[in-house]
Amino acid sequence: MRHAPLIGALLAIAAALVAPRLLSEFNLRLATLSLHTSIAVIGLCIAFGWTGLLHLGQAAFIGIGAYATAILSTRLGLGFWTTMPVALVASGLVALCIAVPMLRLRGHYLALAVLGFNVTFEIVARNWTKLTGGFDGITDIPPVHLFGLVINDDRGYYYLSLGFAILCALFALALRHSRYGRAMIAIRDDELAAGTSSISVTRMKVLAFVIASMLAGLSGALYAHHATFIAPQDFEFAKSVTILVMLILGGEISVAGAILGTVIITFLPEWLRFLGDYYQAVFGLLVLVILIVMPNGIVGKVKQLWPMLTGRKTHV
Amino acid sequence: MTAQIIQLALNALAAGCIYAVVALSVEIAYESTGVVNFAAGQLVTAGALIGLSAVAFTKANFLPAYLLVLVGMSLIGIVFLIFVYLPLRRQSVLTIVIGTVGIGIFIQNVMLLTWGPLPKSVRSPMGGGALKFGDVSVSLHVLYVIAVAAVLIVAMYMLLYRSSVGRQFRAMAQDPEAATLMGIRVKALYAFNWILVCVLSGIAGLLFAPMWLVDVTSGDNLGLKAFAAIMIGGFGSVPGAILGGVIVGAIEIFGAFYISSNFKDALVFASMFLFLLVRPQGIFGERIADRA
Repeated sequence: MRHAPLIGALLAIAAALVAPRLLSEFNLRLATLSLHTSIAVIGLCIAFGWTGLLHLGQAAFIGIGAYATAILSTRLGLGFWTTMPVALVASGLVALCIAVPMLRLRGHYLALAVLGFNVTFEIVARNWTKLTGGFDGITDIPPVHLFGLVINDDRGYYYLSLGFAILCALFALALRHSRYGRAMIAIRDDELAAGTSSISVTRMKVLAFVIASMLAGLSGALYAHHATFIAPQDFEFAKSVTILVMLILGGEISVAGAILGTVIITFLPEWLRFLGDYYQAVFGLLVLVILIVMPNGIVGKVKQLWPMLTGRKTHV
Repeated sequence: MTAQIIQLALNALAAGCIYAVVALSVEIAYESTGVVNFAAGQLVTAGALIGLSAVAFTKANFLPAYLLVLVGMSLIGIVFLIFVYLPLRRQSVLTIVIGTVGIGIFIQNVMLLTWGPLPKSVRSPMGGGALKFGDVSVSLHVLYVIAVAAVLIVAMYMLLYRSSVGRQFRAMAQDPEAATLMGIRVKALYAFNWILVCVLSGIAGLLFAPMWLVDVTSGDNLGLKAFAAIMIGGFGSVPGAILGGVIVGAIEIFGAFYISSNFKDALVFASMFLFLLVRPQGIFGERIADRA
């Protein structure tokens, strides 16, 4: 089954297209949420999965995108198609400022600096009340207009987010099979060897980090319009951890895994509602279990078990 | 005016000493296993909350209560070893780091279920008294924190640089297999390492708890400050962790007083970032070369 991944992707898209007819209103909301979150997770796949940067601050970059579009659209009345590119550029620029000094250093410096950045972002969002609305956040973010249509319900945002998610997935796959993608994987596998193979390690890391953050910014812009309300706690450090868990659950090097992991972790609190207050503790244990039982995520496990399922031997 | 500055400086030193102890705990884990322990903050909270219950249990008999805390933290260290480090040891360091994030979430939420979300005040073994030198009034607890931290720092320095255990730690960090062949009991050393990490964090929890109200998230902030301290002081350097801790304490206390208390933590991270721009290797730089 050489075409299994392609067939799987087409089936998944077909299922995603008809899903809104089958889902309840609440589940449709969660599905929409998982679609635009998956864009940030695809970003993390590029930075962490391929390039090996432990980026524990995606939530802050989602926040930059969300606040940028929310502030511009509520204060200046600009439309989504103007604010969204601004959101992308804003998160990309901030990422660039962090990345250039940090990525020359060894991996854990970036991890800790980004963690510090995420916490700083929360503090600024809470306390710069004039700009961000402080603890109360920003309300009444206007709907998105597209070809004369007003998108203001969950179904509309579902299809809008699905469109963006598919575009981002295609972009990521194209990147993966370009020389940039190959260079990123080479850095992850062996930084020293990649450097000696005339790959500009720092430049590639900066590129991966900035792309990851811009995708997070896009995800945030969609989030702000879909939710119509944003507040600092939507972008706290714990969110960044959740995004990382989404990626490692699905499979850290796989775009499909990133999307799958996002959908599962978004719905998980619903499925495990019977756990009540114990959910978060179980979530922590789940992280450990994933790391121990399937270090390459669901996609890695499927790949490993595929020959057994189909009864064929795959060529290595 | 001068009295005020001296008072602020002593408070900054006390806070810095606590950050330094947490930073030492992170540093020891890093030196011996290469793992940055993201659960440090939750371990600090665990020390503080177990201390709260132990003091209540022994009816404010501090010595046995604190011994109970040390036993409790050692048990957490063994849990850490068995459920995080040993199963993930063969995977990449990044995977183990994510594992520490996972166990951190777990510990934090078990604490939430056990102690509830409300902030609690914790008593100091020194009581609430203060010493007066002219205009300067210093709480006994602050002096006690500085003294305990100083003793701990000296003890850790002796352990890491003046004993065979420290040499074994570094040998194990560089190459566990070669260390095993040299007759180092690597498993026992791992166990000792994680117990030490948890006990140090726990002591930091006991020290900070009486200074502020404690809830299940209070340690998170200390963990972050400890990371900032290490980045400022330089990864892989024990004196760096201590100096970094004191610098972070000073930025925080003076920044809160003279600039803005809302933004004091942002000030710490902004300073850390600026510092790294100027001196990326930290004050004392990284001792161990990259583990390729």
